[in-house]
Amino acid sequence: MKIENKQRLRVALDLYNNAPCGAVSFRKDGTIYDVNQTLCTWLGYEKDELLEKRTLPSLFKIGGQIFFETHFYPMIAMQGYIKEIYFDILKKDKSTFHGLINVREIPAYKDNPVSYQATILDIADRRKYEVELLEAKRKAEADSKVKADILATISHEIRTPLNSILGIGNLLHQTPLNKNQQKYAHLLLHSSEHLLSLVNNLLDLSKIEANKLSLETAPFNILELISILKQTFAVKAKEKGIKLRTKVAKHIPPIIEGDQMKLKQVLTNLLGNSIKFTKKGAVELSVTLIEEKGDEICLQFIVKDSGIGIPKEKLESIFHEFEQASHDVSIEFGGTGLGLTISKKLLELQHSHLEVSSELNKGSTFSFAIWFTRSTEKSLAAENSPINEKDHTFEDLRVMVVDDNPSNIFIAEQYLDQWNTDYISVNSGKKAISHLKSYPADIVLLDLQMPELNGYDTARRIREMSLKKQPLIVAFSASTKGEVLKQLQESGIEEHLPKPFHPDELLSILLKFRNRKSSEGAGPDSRIRSRKKSTLHKTKQTPEIEVEENKSFNFSRFEKMANNNPKYLQKFKTSTLDAFREYKKEFNRAVGNSDVEALLALIHKSTMSIYYIQADRLTGLLNDCRDMLQLPDTDNKKLSGFTEVTNREFDIIIEGLDQ
Amino acid sequence: MKASDKSGIYQKFNINVLGSGTQPMMFAHGFGCDQNMFRFLYPYFQDDYKIILFDFVGAGKSDLSAYDSEKYNSLQAYADDVLSICEALELSEVVYVGHSVSAMTGILASIKKPDYFSKLVLIGPSPRYINDGSYNGGFEESAILELLDTLDSNYMGWSQAMAPVIMGNEDRPHLGEELSNSFCQADPEIAKNFARVTFLSDNRDDLKKVSVPSLIIQCKQDVIAPIAVGEYINENIGPSTLKIIDATGHCPNLSAPEETAKAMQDFL
Repeated sequence: MKIENKQRLRVALDLYNNAPCGAVSFRKDGTIYDVNQTLCTWLGYEKDELLEKRTLPSLFKIGGQIFFETHFYPMIAMQGYIKEIYFDILKKDKSTFHGLINVREIPAYKDNPVSYQATILDIADRRKYEVELLEAKRKAEADSKVKADILATISHEIRTPLNSILGIGNLLHQTPLNKNQQKYAHLLLHSSEHLLSLVNNLLDLSKIEANKLSLETAPFNILELISILKQTFAVKAKEKGIKLRTKVAKHIPPIIEGDQMKLKQVLTNLLGNSIKFTKKGAVELSVTLIEEKGDEICLQFIVKDSGIGIPKEKLESIFHEFEQASHDVSIEFGGTGLGLTISKKLLELQHSHLEVSSELNKGSTFSFAIWFTRSTEKSLAAENSPINEKDHTFEDLRVMVVDDNPSNIFIAEQYLDQWNTDYISVNSGKKAISHLKSYPADIVLLDLQMPELNGYDTARRIREMSLKKQPLIVAFSASTKGEVLKQLQESGIEEHLPKPFHPDELLSILLKFRNRKSSEGAGPDSRIRSRKKSTLHKTKQTPEIEVEENKSFNFSRFEKMANNNPKYLQKFKTSTLDAFREYKKEFNRAVGNSDVEALLALIHKSTMSIYYIQADRLTGLLNDCRDMLQLPDTDNKKLSGFTEVTNREFDIIIEGLDQ
Repeated sequence: MKASDKSGIYQKFNINVLGSGTQPMMFAHGFGCDQNMFRFLYPYFQDDYKIILFDFVGAGKSDLSAYDSEKYNSLQAYADDVLSICEALELSEVVYVGHSVSAMTGILASIKKPDYFSKLVLIGPSPRYINDGSYNGGFEESAILELLDTLDSNYMGWSQAMAPVIMGNEDRPHLGEELSNSFCQADPEIAKNFARVTFLSDNRDDLKKVSVPSLIIQCKQDVIAPIAVGEYINENIGPSTLKIIDATGHCPNLSAPEETAKAMQDFL
């Protein structure tokens, strides 16, 4: 028995000394009083060089020593053990040993004071992988950011041409059409609206992912918001033959402070979904007050439907990007599969959580609760009142449209015409400033991205002008509100109309301004008004001239768009004519200076106008000139030949437009 | 002040008030860890004082969202926080116990509002960690830069490497279950900034502005604050007593709580 014990002790000691990990024992003051052979070998020390001579922290690099004093020791002292802390240990030859340390306290026993035992693992390999993993993680994050940026840029770029598509679609819808055409126009509108919502969703998502979205708290009328939502969805619900109910608990204060836009976006999404997935029965939105703390109130929003429901196993995944409950759902009901993801994230931003319960074929219930503050304001200026765009006229309102893209001007003008508004249009910031001196505009619709003087600078200059009355400046751009808001305010721009805009949005701005003006009464601003339409610009009622079909251009797209309305046709021609005169100058400047960038900008800018008049030959010529300029050694003779042909082409088009 | 503001300050600094006395004794932890650093020390004073424990913003269970790296780029910002706690809790005649870098924080607070304080207890203080001419702060500049570099590369994983371990502490009833590897854990960014503020500070010129009587407690062997530093403070600060206790390391409040308490009781 005794011999066996001795044997076991020997084995244990051997194990201690040659274990695959380092072992070291030290006293309260850090002094090492035992160390195994493995650690000595790893560090290159003889046992005698360490025992009673060195402290454990003295083996660490200076950072480790400080860490030992400020973090490591307090932890051992308080909890008696410490697990897996990484230290760089200095070997005798001053190179570094990567070690993972575990420490446990050996409590005081009889005469022996408290001491500590540490085991040290060699983690050189693990360290290497860690470094590689970190690098891979950093790279993945960078890649994902690049992807998000590309997504945001592309989405943004898509919004600009979408502006034209939606605008023209809206206009087309209002012209006399036969049944088939009506159907096509309806489809066109419907599809472009869907495309817009997809692009907007992508933009929202990329902003959320990039943490660029912030809360904007302002007082708003919750009752009004709910009533607007009801009106918005009433038509769709009616079309599907289902009931749409809204219930707002009575004791909810009408005016509260919070982020109205984000709340509206979430509710729009949930209501839209519910109506989409409900074939019969009802969709109900209810709002209740569930908690109060001083001025803070917590409102619960519940959207309940009697629709197809969501299978249990899908309840989680419907919140993931691009996922819907099933592939069939996406085929039958459409949609982007982004709405719920965005809603969920928008709510998280407000420390709220979107909850769902559902029973297959019975219906689904989505709910969330948000804290708002009671507003000190008793009422808000009336806005967003239901609009019927056809019933409004603004004969006493002067509007200036500033945009370098003629088709954008054209679209805005169509609506202004419809509402009998007095307006002028100019195609640059400089012209806007010079015309403002003689044309006292009430509202300036200002494009933000213009060459030379951009929208911000134009606004700033307008603000510096000594005008009888400063106009309301409305930014008009493809950017979405959030990102430019601050810049807008700094430039003195008060409103923002994102392109593509819905006519309602423009109308509501005009309405708001008119209301504001009428409440101000007939103040010093009772200027003499020109009777409808300024004479400064266009509206020359020339009889329609037969345009000869020519290979260089073709007005058939115009004619279709103008729907045989000579006024529209003429207007479009005039604005396109202005544009082409400008393009010609720019072309010659670009070629004269061998400036490829300028030529590329011109090609980009003129795309829409060229498209409308089908000047395909000009496109070809412009591209040829571009190719030639891009060559390392440009053949100047050849280039000047092409330049001449291109100029001739420009002249033919300009002449045609001018007739 | 609204009631909510007051409860706000309790949350912001995770303030805990204990003890049965009336005179406040305020414990301010240093770089690393939090108010738990005083677990073994404050019980000695619980009967005679009103014990105020708190975590500086960025440490322990303080409100991390209140941390702003621009604001907390000097010890004065931390000193102002000490004063704001005194003000909100309407403290006066405070015995301020500051460990490590918070000794200097207390000095700065007492210079700004001497009326709030009756005595300062400075445990392991240092007005400057880096050697400067004849001044021996204990560190060569290169060593401190290495430390900061270490923090930058986060090689020690000040937080990540310390995976929280939830374990029963049956033999240590003073530790709650929630205490684990994590209680000295800090957000790596905040730890980095705090280290920078701490180890690059130079408050030697402030010492002579101190009018509140102070006790300097120094360990025999302390890598972070050597005895020479304690002696330097004792010579340059206003009315003061230097007590060197027979302990090793930078945390006598943990390694030698009894001796530390004794030194304090003698002084008070």
